[in-house]
Amino acid sequence: MGQFVQFTLNGLLAGTIYALIAVGIVSVYKATRVVNFAHGYMIMFGAYFYYTFAVLLPGLELMPSWLAKWEPDWLIAARENAPMFSPMGAVLDWVSNLPRIIFGITGAVIACAILGRMIERMLMRPMIGQSSFAMIMITVGLISVLSGAKGLIWTADAAFVPHIAPNAPVRFELFGNPVFLFGADLANAAIAVILFTAIVLWVRYSKGGVAIRATAEDQQTAYSMGISVPAVFGRAWVLAAATGAIAGAILATRNGVSPSLGLFGFSVLAIVLMGGLDSYVGVFIAALMVGFLEAMAQWQLGGEWAEVVPYIAVLIVILIRPHGLLGQKEVERI
Amino acid sequence: MTLNRRSFLARSAAASAVLAAPTLLKAQPAEYVFGASLPLTGPFATAGQLVAPAFAMAQRLINEEGGIGGVPIRFVTEDSGYIPQNALANYQRALATEGDALVAYFGDSTGFMKLVAPELKGDQARLMGSTSFASELANPEVNPYQYLAGPSYEDQFDILLQNIANQGGSTVAFIFSNTEFGRDPIEHGKKRAEELGLKVVLEESTKPQGADIPTHVTKLAQSGAEYCLLQGYVTGVWPQLIGGARQFGLPTKFMGTFWGMEKIIADRVTEQAGPFLDGYQGVMPYRYFYDRADAPRYETFAALSKEMFVGTPLENYMPTWTIQTMCAIEIAVRALRDTAEKGLELTADNTAESLNAISDWDMGGYFGGPVSVEGGKIGTGRVYTYGAENGLFTPSSDWFNV
Repeated sequence: MGQFVQFTLNGLLAGTIYALIAVGIVSVYKATRVVNFAHGYMIMFGAYFYYTFAVLLPGLELMPSWLAKWEPDWLIAARENAPMFSPMGAVLDWVSNLPRIIFGITGAVIACAILGRMIERMLMRPMIGQSSFAMIMITVGLISVLSGAKGLIWTADAAFVPHIAPNAPVRFELFGNPVFLFGADLANAAIAVILFTAIVLWVRYSKGGVAIRATAEDQQTAYSMGISVPAVFGRAWVLAAATGAIAGAILATRNGVSPSLGLFGFSVLAIVLMGGLDSYVGVFIAALMVGFLEAMAQWQLGGEWAEVVPYIAVLIVILIRPHGLLGQKEVERI
Repeated sequence: MTLNRRSFLARSAAASAVLAAPTLLKAQPAEYVFGASLPLTGPFATAGQLVAPAFAMAQRLINEEGGIGGVPIRFVTEDSGYIPQNALANYQRALATEGDALVAYFGDSTGFMKLVAPELKGDQARLMGSTSFASELANPEVNPYQYLAGPSYEDQFDILLQNIANQGGSTVAFIFSNTEFGRDPIEHGKKRAEELGLKVVLEESTKPQGADIPTHVTKLAQSGAEYCLLQGYVTGVWPQLIGGARQFGLPTKFMGTFWGMEKIIADRVTEQAGPFLDGYQGVMPYRYFYDRADAPRYETFAALSKEMFVGTPLENYMPTWTIQTMCAIEIAVRALRDTAEKGLELTADNTAESLNAISDWDMGGYFGGPVSVEGGKIGTGRVYTYGAENGLFTPSSDWFNV
């Protein structure tokens, strides 16, 4: 039972990260009716931006030394007394890294938002009025562009980045079995849930969110009601890119920075289809389900199955409910 | 024109000369060509870019030393992007453009070596080394033209498991990427562990990149393994796994095989994430480049590197990946020279025969002593331990022969 709880928690924690990735796909779809196939690669860019601002730039000689490693006297003294790899050691390491973590997150969010804005302004906006299919195909082409651009800017090495939160171990006994959790994973899950909730509330209750929903219902009517549809498009892309930057940074801290992060987007696309392309809540439930199933498959069947089993479940759900768990059924009137 | 006996003989001699000319020309080309596919782009671009200069050095060194029987050799490298089909296309193109002058080839992956194996027949075959230590390739009966420049991954697991048994270990975990590279020694390793009385408490496969580190570390923690063997990674996953385990306070001792033993990567991890690789062990077929006592070949490389690679990472240190490539080139060149000395054509059959006859060869410092090619490989290696403070892998066992 303890083992079951262990892997359930692992799965749910991973699921919250999937949900944070998925929120970008849903936001763009809700506003523009475009399924962004390149979202995974925007997340990869978010991860590399975090790496750039948290590791590469602070390492430059022209940058102040406290940015790379903040080491006031009291911190040095405390670290000397804390055993290496102890929970206190992990917290003190995090404090020492805090300036570059803040610099990294801020830089990644801004850089990714600019990237999202550029994609929207240069590739999507000229396509307003064209079929959604054409815009979707642009996002498919964008995969190659982003993947190639990444190769031109950064090397293919898997690199390390500092954890966003202290990575102290959390251990407890449950039904006679030890349960292990990483502190950073708990914090990452909390960040993902808070961001997800904030976005859902913003879309539901804010003026900007209502504009997104109105545009999603009918672009022409939204225009005639005075809503700036291009601005809504822009806002949705910036929102997706900014959340993608945080998701990318979190993924980078968990799994290392590598080009394979781009592939997460495809896994999450399946989750989005399972939850319903236009339903935040449905996607959240689907993300937790896939995280849970992945962890169970990893536990009981091994690594090869962990990549297959959850997506069989996704296929079954889509076969039974083609619009996803909570997606809106489209009614076409002739 | 009448055809009498004299004119018939004269014409026959002329025709014979014309017909024999290609053979004569084949025997003495202006230069030989050694082709190679390298991952200069793609996921292993870092490794490919560090290996590429080895070919420039080899060309200069080998030609200064007399080429192949007095004929110079030219090295031609092309990018594969670590895609076996691209490497195969490169090989086929080299065959078409260089013809018989192409006498050896260097492949960039296990995938390519397996893909090309059925093609290596008749005049399409060439002596072929690679970056791979895949156990399946070390089989001269099936792959007569392919060889490993060191021990297979199965051999490397044997060395690690033997070392664990020597140290009194009792439980071991295998964590490997879900690739051919990762799975290669696992079944063999399980059998060997059983023979040595070691209990395999965890077999965990992961993604080759972007693996879910917390889940794998959790499983490792629950297995209670004393030792953990890592296989199938190059620059990623293995450092994150060790980092996660250390942050978790796991006392497990981690061990890796050749591709997880590069000092450049270990130093970078130490610089970026702290000293948690301290004490990390693994098997290495070669001596590290900084271990140059009684290694005249390494001294030659060092002198050339200072001259040829000024201002690059190779100026003062030759990575293990580059050493492996140099070793593979030198083995092929030795086989080519031996064949030329015998006065034979440098066909794949002749050079493969010379290669498998290499015995008790002092390579000048790559290995612990003289080596022989047996079963298409050189079965030797020893265990090294990484020290985060000095950034060096230092020997922690004697040389094993497997």
